[in-house]
Amino acid sequence: MRRWLIPLGLGMILLFVTGCAGRPRQESWPGLIVVDDILYAANWDRVSALDAVTGEVYWSYPFEANRRTNHFYATPVYTEEASEHGLLLVAGFTDQAVHALALSADPTQPPELVWLFTRAGGQYVGSGVVAEGLFLIGNGDGRVYALDLEDGAEVWVFRTQDRVWATPLVIEDTVYISSLDHTLYAVDLQTGVERWRVDTQGALASAPAVVDGDLWIGDFARTLYQIDVATQSIVWTYQAQNWLWGTPVMGGSTLYFYDVGGNVYALDLQTRDMLWDEPVNLDEATLRGRPMLDAEAGILLVPAHESGKIYALDAETGMEIDWGVIEEDPGKLPSDLVRAHNMVYAMPIEAETRIRALDGASGVPVWVYPPVEDVE
Amino acid sequence: MNVLIIRPIINLLLLFYLWLGNETIIAVTVVTIIFRLAMTPLMLNQQKSARKQQSLRPKMEELQNKYKDDREKLSQEQMKLYKEAGFNPLGGCLPLLIQFPIMIGVYQAIIRVLAATPLQLLTLSNDIYSWVPAFSLLIPLKSRFLWLDLALRDPYYVLPVLVFATSWLQQKLLTPPAQDEQSAAMNKQMMIMMPLMTAYFSATFASGLAVYFFITNVVGILQYYLFRSHYVFDEPEPAPTKKAQSKAQSKGKSSAKSKKHKPQAVRQRASK
Repeated sequence: MRRWLIPLGLGMILLFVTGCAGRPRQESWPGLIVVDDILYAANWDRVSALDAVTGEVYWSYPFEANRRTNHFYATPVYTEEASEHGLLLVAGFTDQAVHALALSADPTQPPELVWLFTRAGGQYVGSGVVAEGLFLIGNGDGRVYALDLEDGAEVWVFRTQDRVWATPLVIEDTVYISSLDHTLYAVDLQTGVERWRVDTQGALASAPAVVDGDLWIGDFARTLYQIDVATQSIVWTYQAQNWLWGTPVMGGSTLYFYDVGGNVYALDLQTRDMLWDEPVNLDEATLRGRPMLDAEAGILLVPAHESGKIYALDAETGMEIDWGVIEEDPGKLPSDLVRAHNMVYAMPIEAETRIRALDGASGVPVWVYPPVEDVE
Repeated sequence: MNVLIIRPIINLLLLFYLWLGNETIIAVTVVTIIFRLAMTPLMLNQQKSARKQQSLRPKMEELQNKYKDDREKLSQEQMKLYKEAGFNPLGGCLPLLIQFPIMIGVYQAIIRVLAATPLQLLTLSNDIYSWVPAFSLLIPLKSRFLWLDLALRDPYYVLPVLVFATSWLQQKLLTPPAQDEQSAAMNKQMMIMMPLMTAYFSATFASGLAVYFFITNVVGILQYYLFRSHYVFDEPEPAPTKKAQSKAQSKGKSSAKSKKHKPQAVRQRASK
């Protein structure tokens, strides 16, 4: 027995030093949507339906007991097409599959799996989009798949040179695909044939925003691009201080966006000047999730990944506003914020609570999931 | 560790990726070789120290026999012996202590720079020096090489097998000869355990890491042949088996010549 002690001891040391032992479960960034009064959250290893107002859980999918084998990055997609009571489409990171769930007439009852698409060769990160009877979704194998909503059959496939982590954007009959291969593609919705493309300096990890027919998108080369769809070319650029990952949001004539280094920018599109004197730096916070603008209140909400805090900025001045409460266990916030029912929903990771419903005006928690008593 | 070791290595990897035709496997190979070579003087020192310790072993055992009932005196005499021989007992540990964080740093840097998941890529954004804008243009690194996606594990287990084979060979070449049965058994276990462990890591984690293990082993083996004089230990008597011991005891003290060359451990037992 003694002869095994030293090798075993060395092995244990190696495991701990290399970080291979005691590793927490692999995290992903969760996403949620709210449809009427139901909140559908793709969270960690399951998709759950909750009462959006009270936080009561109705069902979770997959239904098996041991569900720790999958992770979801992609936000669920809801459509009323192809199913009487609605279809929920979720795409797994680990299982590399698209699951189509037909919802019940009673939304509190579990859905039924109607088809599964497993032919993609990589992981799903970005969410999909429904258009003209098709479900379009990008994959880690560099392809965008157009699936028939009825049965999940592959209608067309468009191939890029690197992973597609962004949700495709559909405008009329054109699909815009952002790829990590440093290119934005414009593809025919019906056939999947490329119409034109624009090469960027850095990788594109988010969908473009549409403003007056132009596309606005940021890349990892720290550049914000204005792309004229008519001329299919870049007409204006702005150099930020770090990678641009989240999709910009528009409010009035101002475009709000931020870089992963924690700098928030407000660009007046009429004058092309920055609305604020300097970008607001949020204490070196890492920012990824999309900012949320409350146009009525004039507040820009920014989820900070690293600190797990939601910053509230005055949309006019960029000054930080007192909003929300200091969480004891904030975790991290890589996901987009969602607003519905006068509430703001946040989905932290590396925290005990996985969904936080906050009062839209004050930021005070209304409910959390799992409930605090369950966590304790 | 992150700021002082891992982050600089990540940026060094990116620099070589930029210079060497945007090939991740070449960048990983070059950085691994650089660090392995940079640690060569430390490794040679360690080997030198091990050799010296081995040469002092007979005298040490004599002292242990002589002062087995007086630990304090034994300690004093040992220190005296070390001083006379110019041997630093910590000389073998210090190089290891310096090498270890660097090895772990290279390992961590490779894992981070390959960024297999979106969250890892988000973390990588903090590790890249913002004052070198060219590095941001390189992300994500090209991770395809032959059948491999360097960010994912080798689906055909070719690299883990290569890592096992080279780890075993390196371990065999670098392990000092055993002086007694217990050491021999331990060496035997290590010869299997360590290669198995690195092969397991190679099979489980990103294949970029397996490339690192493989290159490290190959350079280690080449270094052995290049600096052989530092590594080769005095040829010892083969470790005695129990059978051999009992045979030796039954023969008693019939052969003075064979007794002279017997390892110390056997002599102690025979004298009891």
